[in-house]
Amino acid sequence: MSRICIEHLDKRYRSRTGDVPALLDINLDIGDGEFVSVIGPSGCGKSTLLYVLGGFIAADGGTMRIDGKPITGPGVDRGIVFQEYALFPWLTVEKNIQYGLEMVGLGRRERDAIARKLIRTVNLEGFEHRFPRELSGGMKQRVAIARTLAYDPKILLLDEPFGALDSQTRETMQDELRRLWLAQRKTVLLVTHDVDEAVYLSERVIVMSSRPGRIVEEFKIAVDRSGGREATVLSEEFMRLRNAVWLCVRRQVSAAAH
Amino acid sequence: MAGPGATASAPERQLPRLMRASFRFLPVAIFLLIWEAIVDLGLVDRSFLPSFGDTMAALWTMARDGEIAFNLWVSIYRSIGGLAIGSILGVAVGLMMATSRRAEEFFGPLVATTYSLPKASLVPLFILWFGIGDVTDMLTVVLACLLPVVVSTYHGVKAVPPVIVWSARAMGTPRWKILWRVLLPASLHPILIGVRIALGFCFVLTISAEMIAAKSGIGKLIFFYGESGAYAYMFGGLAAVVVVAYAADRALLAAMHHLLRWDDSIHAAAADG
Repeated sequence: MSRICIEHLDKRYRSRTGDVPALLDINLDIGDGEFVSVIGPSGCGKSTLLYVLGGFIAADGGTMRIDGKPITGPGVDRGIVFQEYALFPWLTVEKNIQYGLEMVGLGRRERDAIARKLIRTVNLEGFEHRFPRELSGGMKQRVAIARTLAYDPKILLLDEPFGALDSQTRETMQDELRRLWLAQRKTVLLVTHDVDEAVYLSERVIVMSSRPGRIVEEFKIAVDRSGGREATVLSEEFMRLRNAVWLCVRRQVSAAAH
Repeated sequence: MAGPGATASAPERQLPRLMRASFRFLPVAIFLLIWEAIVDLGLVDRSFLPSFGDTMAALWTMARDGEIAFNLWVSIYRSIGGLAIGSILGVAVGLMMATSRRAEEFFGPLVATTYSLPKASLVPLFILWFGIGDVTDMLTVVLACLLPVVVSTYHGVKAVPPVIVWSARAMGTPRWKILWRVLLPASLHPILIGVRIALGFCFVLTISAEMIAAKSGIGKLIFFYGESGAYAYMFGGLAAVVVVAYAADRALLAAMHHLLRWDDSIHAAAADG
């Protein structure tokens, strides 16, 4: 069981000219094993929402609970993947993946076994002893995902994880993420600015307004994805939902421009 | 010299390694030749400036009777010992300043005001407190090495991207372990650059301190021969320090190269001479 429950969440940033509201009265429930995306114009505070949930920055008001327990700081019940990978450049691929396991206090043997399995899962065999600087963007993000999966968090918080990748790599990584989610059914909160990505991956898409970020609309994504990417993306139902979400996000962007 | 391939033209890159390595010493060789020539041609008085040959001969004499080995050893342990103590303290203070506002408020003004103070000027005071010898000499070196390491550690740690720390926290790293497991390795490159700057200072300060406050060491030797007008011997002592300091810098550079083999920027930065 891993339910995220956010009620009346507020977050302000302090600046020299006064407080700037970043998030305003966010209410969001995410069920156990649900895949939810948050999408919105850049600067809408969607990443801030993720950082608050991660326990890295404190909220200014409201409550956030995971399985009924309030969030007080970072924890291994939540795994986070950042757009800029945030790998430890001084550790090899293998050691990066083992890092969380070492912190949990697992012995060398178990760490090795888990790391080996994950390296296979994310297709990085042969790169165990490379340093991150020797990897492509897609490979770095695979390492970041593997090291997060290694300590088996119940919740995955993904902060535009594929934003820095080229579109072909991005699609491959999306399919891999979907495969992982289907296999493990973790609770996932994905922050993205890519409408197709959100609709393709999620069961529910939340659209946020420009600063201050508020939730403006919610889309249930009930699309049959059993036919693979091509059949899914080209289906009428997918296109209808994609267009609806796209239009909603676009309205937020133009509302901010005026 | 810039990194390999950075500014080197195509034909230069094709030269064999050995030849390129010897090119490095070409300016030094030219300098030594000019030095020898102006003395041999009588352009300057030999009693004011010994030739390179005279200097080497004096160095050989001092090496044979053990005078160089003993004094060099004393100077090396004062320099490198002072550097080691200064670097460890410097990393500790720099880490504290970068991670605690209180430490920053306390040490910040101290560092800013003492940074440009010539540390050798404190030697007379240290003689008063500690007499002449190791304590005075090494304390001077420690103080001189401390500040560049403090400053480079402070800036290095401040520049560590927050997401690196966040991801470590998310993976269950306790706060106190962040220092050791994340901040220190993440800022190792700037820290070592600071240590390299300090390495340059440590020999200068050891020699300076020994000239006024020691019974042994190369500084004392240089001072002694300088006072007695045996300039070839004085230059011989200097030459010994130059060689040791150069070797120490090369060794540190090689160590940096190994320790930072994961770092993107080391390949460009470490190639410079």
